[in-house]
Amino acid sequence: MAEARTVARFRKRTIWFHWVHTAAFLVLLITGAILFFPGLGGAAAGGATRFIHRIAVVVFVVAPLAYAAFNPKVAWHFVKETFTWGSDDYRWVMRAPDYYFGGAEDKMLPQGHINTGQKAWQLIVVVTGVIFLVSGVLMWSNNLGTGVFQWAVIAHDVAFILALLMLLVHVYLGVLHPRMTESLRSMLDGKVSRKYAQSHYGLWYKETADKKK
Amino acid sequence: MEITRKEFIKGAAGAAGAGLLMLASPARALAKDESTQAGLAMLVDVTRCVNCWWCYAACKEYNQLGETSQPDLNEPPPLSASVWTTLKPVKQGDAWVSRKQACNHCTQAACVEVCPSGALSYNGLGFVQYDQTKCTGCGYCAEFCPFGIPQMEQGTVNGVAIMNKCTFCQDRVAQGLPTACSAACTTGAILFGKRADLIATAENRVAELRPTVPQASVYGINELNGLHVMYVLDDTPETYGLPSDPQVPDAVTVRDVFRWVGTGLVAAALAGFGLNYLVSRIRMTRGEK
Repeated sequence: MAEARTVARFRKRTIWFHWVHTAAFLVLLITGAILFFPGLGGAAAGGATRFIHRIAVVVFVVAPLAYAAFNPKVAWHFVKETFTWGSDDYRWVMRAPDYYFGGAEDKMLPQGHINTGQKAWQLIVVVTGVIFLVSGVLMWSNNLGTGVFQWAVIAHDVAFILALLMLLVHVYLGVLHPRMTESLRSMLDGKVSRKYAQSHYGLWYKETADKKK
Repeated sequence: MEITRKEFIKGAAGAAGAGLLMLASPARALAKDESTQAGLAMLVDVTRCVNCWWCYAACKEYNQLGETSQPDLNEPPPLSASVWTTLKPVKQGDAWVSRKQACNHCTQAACVEVCPSGALSYNGLGFVQYDQTKCTGCGYCAEFCPFGIPQMEQGTVNGVAIMNKCTFCQDRVAQGLPTACSAACTTGAILFGKRADLIATAENRVAELRPTVPQASVYGINELNGLHVMYVLDDTPETYGLPSDPQVPDAVTVRDVFRWVGTGLVAAALAGFGLNYLVSRIRMTRGEK
């Protein structure tokens, strides 16, 4: 029988933020994809999706800013975490293929609250977010100099490819991968089992257990 | 039925490329067909223009772009969503010489290459046709056109922006009629006809002008694989606001490459997940035993 899920992993507001941001991003992704993938452009005829794209981007930008404003410590920790990379991350990457292709669990390095792969996803979200935003604002404003719009389109496209690929990885690992049995549920009710916390986020589990003592 | 080698290769290539072709715009295939270099065209002869603005008025009337009075040569109306053709007047001494400015209907058209929805496409007769109902308002055509022709009706807040430009009077032409502007021109400054015939006319005209106007030249025979609006000029192209060497911007090719790379990577990722799922499941099940 599965062990009860009793270790608190995400706060309610974090979960809310995650899903609001997800919804906004999916709307942006879909209304953008129809201009990116050849043959889908017909879905954008009339310009309605163009309007929706602009509504969604407001949510996409305001949600993280509001979250950061109300949780400045968490936001600062997020930024530090996202941009701090070390040799352990390199070792994680070297062991990741075996681990994700079903290798022995104990060969993996114990991880903190998030693992190196999740940190990479955070990094991609931040970096592509900035590229999306800058190039998007450039395209939104009229009468740019020759060529600026053209390269803004390409920057937007590159960010789209990176973000879409990493999103697919994120969704696959979070929802479908045989090893990530509690990942999706933890982003719904905020909890994981002791065993899952120990095997997936060993360092973090030890920290939280130590704090309780 | 015997299948010739050529047919077989065609068929095999077609099958192999079917997935890829689905992604390419159907217009692209046409663009490479040399026949589109032929087809119909217009020839604008600046030496015959008398600045009467009838082309401008006829375009507005036929395309229902609103009432207008005769513009002043000192303040020519710029192209806009409701001005698809206008004059670019140039002062020569005391006289005005004008070039009619509108879509040049390139054989290799940047606007068609970047249009994500097929609103812009190559007509079999060579010009760039436009289906406004398919326009997404993205504005790529306006930003990639080397001549700056497409014009957007733009709302800053909602971003809904539908493009407008000269359509080569596509519905008139389909009925065998000439374009409205050429039909309205009384001096022969705008000729309409087969492209090959108009090239000959243009070259004869330039030969005629050369003794007195050594600068005379034809513009548009080879530019962008052949424009379907060509010009007889009595001065440099730049004088008349035409780039001397128009090109499809490099960004068009870069964008195409990223579209293909992106599509390929997404497909590869999805296939990778399937493989990963199977392998990790099998290995993990074994590990439990």
